[in-house]
Amino acid sequence: MAYKEVTVKQPLLLTVLPYVSIAAFFIVWEFAVSSGVIPNELLASPSQVVSTFIDKLSNPNPDGAVMATHAWTSVQEAFIGYLLALLVGIPLGLAMGWFNVVEGLFRPIFELIRPIPPIAWIPLTVFWFGIGLAGKVFIIWIAGIVPCVINAYVGVRMTNPTLIQMARTYGANDWQIFTQLCIPSSLPMVFGALQLALAYCWTNLVAAELLAADSGLGFLITMGGRLGRPDIIVLGMICVGISGAIIGFIIDRVEKKLLAGIRR
Amino acid sequence: MDEKQTRNKVEVRNLTKRFGDLTVLDGINFNIKEGELLAIVGPTGCGKTTFLNTLSKLMPTTEGNIYINGEEADPKKHNLAYVFQEPTCLPWRTVRENVAYGMEVKGVGKEEREARATKIMDLVGLTSCADLYPNQVSASMMQRIAVSRAFAVNPDLLLMDEPYGQLDVKLRFYLEDELVNIWRKLNSTVLFVTHNIEEAVYVAERILVLTNKPTKIKAEIPVDLPRPRDLLNPKFIELRKEVTELIRWW
Repeated sequence: MAYKEVTVKQPLLLTVLPYVSIAAFFIVWEFAVSSGVIPNELLASPSQVVSTFIDKLSNPNPDGAVMATHAWTSVQEAFIGYLLALLVGIPLGLAMGWFNVVEGLFRPIFELIRPIPPIAWIPLTVFWFGIGLAGKVFIIWIAGIVPCVINAYVGVRMTNPTLIQMARTYGANDWQIFTQLCIPSSLPMVFGALQLALAYCWTNLVAAELLAADSGLGFLITMGGRLGRPDIIVLGMICVGISGAIIGFIIDRVEKKLLAGIRR
Repeated sequence: MDEKQTRNKVEVRNLTKRFGDLTVLDGINFNIKEGELLAIVGPTGCGKTTFLNTLSKLMPTTEGNIYINGEEADPKKHNLAYVFQEPTCLPWRTVRENVAYGMEVKGVGKEEREARATKIMDLVGLTSCADLYPNQVSASMMQRIAVSRAFAVNPDLLLMDEPYGQLDVKLRFYLEDELVNIWRKLNSTVLFVTHNIEEAVYVAERILVLTNKPTKIKAEIPVDLPRPRDLLNPKFIELRKEVTELIRWW
């Protein structure tokens, strides 16, 4: 092939500075708490969080479950909700973007439901699903479906109109144009939705676990609050943050691989 | 090519398009013979896009119609092809897959598709980049892809909307030669719209000059110069002048 990939070297500063910044953040935090500038009842120091973490790996007290159980519960809930959101939201958004019938039927309902914060669904969710897994999955699903629908819709709408005209002159029907042009065109936006939806799902996890739960990272945070244990609260928050970042990173990688043919 | 059949492939009857009170196309009548390369020139803003959009059936006409082989033109039934001014490559398909796209929509079988795509890519020199993606090839290559895709469906009518308007002079001459070459080999019926008078005289067998809005046909000029045409031939220059005057004095 006459085509050559050119790799650009990342500047050294961008490789080094992120580590410096993270290290500085934890050092300042540790110092602020251990020197008493911030009282220990209000915030735990990183070292306390680490020791609580190690302790929680094997000790179910005081909140009733070990770390692995909490993490597993949350991941399970978030992923079921997330997958259901993708499964329903993306096809719905794509269809809304191209078929007037679908847009006409679903757009008004969607616009009404969209501004309602997922937390507002909690009381109804308890009536409908009780306090088990299904209820939490429902809240997370509600949170995740919104960006899926919007991005898929916009992605289809952004299909280059000249491409559509080109296909029409060849005699392509609506379904051919939808599957052969609109869906491939929308892929970058749809992949954006994978990231956004995950963020929405993950942030609403804590809200979902406000429902009477007995494990989960969100539950750990709430329990830390009830027990007056800042170290447990911070531990829960950090775990939510880190695991969210890891999942986001994985999706980013997958996206780059799959889109290699389009966004070169 | 001298033994041209006189059968009319395409007949345009009383083609009229109004947007509210604004008449853009005003009862246009003309024919295109089978295997003819007809150029259309006109002043800027003469409704050229509307003209092409109605001919390609992208837009309904207000009155009149377009007939192909005596039947009303229909993109689902007839092989229409339209080469747009801007590149229309599908970025997620390779060059080969792009060339085959029109045939795919038409439901041409896989083997036939491959064979025709290979033949056309050979004619226009796309074979070496058949497996590249559109963003890996140059602008002139993109236009070649669109032209190849159009010729590949064996079009009953191939519409071209200033396909080379955005290319530099040297490339344009090169691609015009190429166009004439493919057209002669495949004997397609082509309608070529351009603002460039020289280009029209260079490629066409007949030129229709349009008036300003409301658009009618102002003149019909046959171009019976031998090919390959010489831009400096006195007859060529004379024809070019004639068309220029027609556009200037409306």
